[in-house]
Amino acid sequence: MAQSLSSTVVLWVLAALFIFPVLWLVLSSLKPGGELFRYPLTILPDTWTFDGYARAWERVDFALYFRNTAVVATVTTVLTVLVSAATGYALAKYRARWLSVLFMCILATTMLPTEVILSPTFVVIRDLGLYDQLAGIIIPSILTATGVFMFRQFFRTVPDELIEAARIDGARELSIFFRIMLPLAKPIAITLAIFSFQWRWNDYIWPLLVLGDPDKFTLQVALRSLIGAENIDWTVLLPASVISILPLLALFLVTQRYILSSDLNSGLKD
Amino acid sequence: MNLRRSPRRRDVLAAGAATLALPTALSACGGGSASGSGGEIQFLLSGDANQGGGYQAMADRYAEETGVSVRIVDVPYEDLVTRLRSAAQADDLPALARASAVDPLWKDALLDLSDIATSYDVLPSLVVRNEDDEVRALPSDLTAVGLFLNESLFDQAGVTYPGAGDQPWTWDEFVAALRQVKAATGARYGMVMDASSHRLRSFLYQFGSQGVQQQPDGSWALDEAGADALEYFKSLNDDDVMPKSVWVSGDDPSALFKSGQVAAYYSGVWQVTDFAANITDFEWTTALMPAQPTRATNIGTNWIVAFDGSGVEQEALDFLDWLYTPENYAELSRISGFLPAEEGVDVEYTSNEEAFAMFNAEIAASDPIAGDQATSALEMSYRDIIIDSDPLKEETLKYVAGEQDLQTTVTNIGELTTAGYGA
Repeated sequence: MAQSLSSTVVLWVLAALFIFPVLWLVLSSLKPGGELFRYPLTILPDTWTFDGYARAWERVDFALYFRNTAVVATVTTVLTVLVSAATGYALAKYRARWLSVLFMCILATTMLPTEVILSPTFVVIRDLGLYDQLAGIIIPSILTATGVFMFRQFFRTVPDELIEAARIDGARELSIFFRIMLPLAKPIAITLAIFSFQWRWNDYIWPLLVLGDPDKFTLQVALRSLIGAENIDWTVLLPASVISILPLLALFLVTQRYILSSDLNSGLKD
Repeated sequence: MNLRRSPRRRDVLAAGAATLALPTALSACGGGSASGSGGEIQFLLSGDANQGGGYQAMADRYAEETGVSVRIVDVPYEDLVTRLRSAAQADDLPALARASAVDPLWKDALLDLSDIATSYDVLPSLVVRNEDDEVRALPSDLTAVGLFLNESLFDQAGVTYPGAGDQPWTWDEFVAALRQVKAATGARYGMVMDASSHRLRSFLYQFGSQGVQQQPDGSWALDEAGADALEYFKSLNDDDVMPKSVWVSGDDPSALFKSGQVAAYYSGVWQVTDFAANITDFEWTTALMPAQPTRATNIGTNWIVAFDGSGVEQEALDFLDWLYTPENYAELSRISGFLPAEEGVDVEYTSNEEAFAMFNAEIAASDPIAGDQATSALEMSYRDIIIDSDPLKEETLKYVAGEQDLQTTVTNIGELTTAGYGA
């Protein structure tokens, strides 16, 4: 009893520690400029104001940037999940020596930070005519070693007998994948989808390099324009940051039962 | 030359961007048909929205008067260089840009702007000609280092300070005044200074130094007055007059000053609009900077450049010509709160007129060395030399942190600058 009580307390403390910066951001965004750096600092605003939100909304064309970012994040995520699932399935279930070599190669890409492959990727994108196109930020992001790895590890736990039974029943390879394997891997697919969406939502350096037309900017690129050469307009930046968090927050609320689901093998009970 | 720097993410990115830019540098300058649909002039800059939207307003007005559309593309300041490099590489340079530095990568793709520089009285000290006697970059506006005071604290302590027309104080007098204010009001610190070599340079100039200059033998070195100034600077960073945390561990000096706990802030003109809007708990003012014995600020500017190969070269030049007419230039300066880089332009600032007058007075009274940093960087770019490290700041930081002594600091500043310039 005492033990469970103390662990509950520890968890609450941890939760408070995690929520505090976010809470601080939200409360600060509701303060007028003169209160932001007041000494001594107060947690709650003296004067509650939504003025910063109004100015942020006016300054940043959120509708446009939300749309761009949403298109990029959604399309990339759908493709990432499909490609990763197919690759992971092939790597787990088909036997061929070159497949394991390929797998090592894919894994090796995790050793290369994005910054290192920035220039070759840029040249490829430019020569393909994808510079200043949303496709130019979608295509290079589709394949992630992490996603492939997640699916491969998952499919290895799926008994081969399942596939053999399907083959005996006359199912073709593609329908085995789409009708049996993909549904089984739903928890993985959703987990990867959430991660992928979040990565693409927060992507910064690559969109900055590839996009030239401000009408195609993603949210993060547009937001960073609020940071000036020598100083930062906090009264606009804070509310704008809060607004930019909202779509991801909504996504989390909708999908949280998958994120929080620890039983990733739920499809495999029998 | 980045050896002595901690590899911050941004540096890695910049290095990555630089290497990706190099192989195709030449092809980038070949000119192309990109940029601008239907004769639209693309103008790449940073921070316009942050500074009142002056360029956007002028672009709107130009479209109204002439029907020619100028599209303002506002990108993050830190990434303007990267943006221009990748644009150069993709053969997609804009027609115009307002950049903090001229990049050797695209400096050969620039149009000559001499006509505009001579038609209007663009500050002669900031008009830099290349070896072909061409002006390839025009100063867009001026920034200057200056001194902000917490007027409430000074008044409470009954300490006076020199205004625009007065005799400036010396650093010794200024520091004594800070101690007095601190003692009388219980303020936490006397002053803060941005952790920036730009601010540090004007501090050095005020001690009679010329900063880091090229020596007859081709190497670069900090002079003796500069060394004395650094020693003085270290003595200020004693967590009493100045908090060490700003230079050593990246504390935000602007936030400290805004907290009302610091009597003075050695910063620059860009703070004026921010302070006017966001300081409500106390009164702030500007004062003359100390002179020991030299009066000097450090002038900064952004450079307006026009690119060849945009397809709308003449239209872009016409727009610049229109923008630099004194009447329009004054309007731009008024909206954005710029210090004009053109002589004889009378700007009627809508607010904080006194503060702007103070900065203009500082510039006028300043030793000519004040323009050195901006112009010598441009001259170097013209000669394909760019230094991407900041030895003056990095070494001073180590000195302030107590990691090395004065002699080592001065030697390192010289040697690293020499290495950086490849001299």
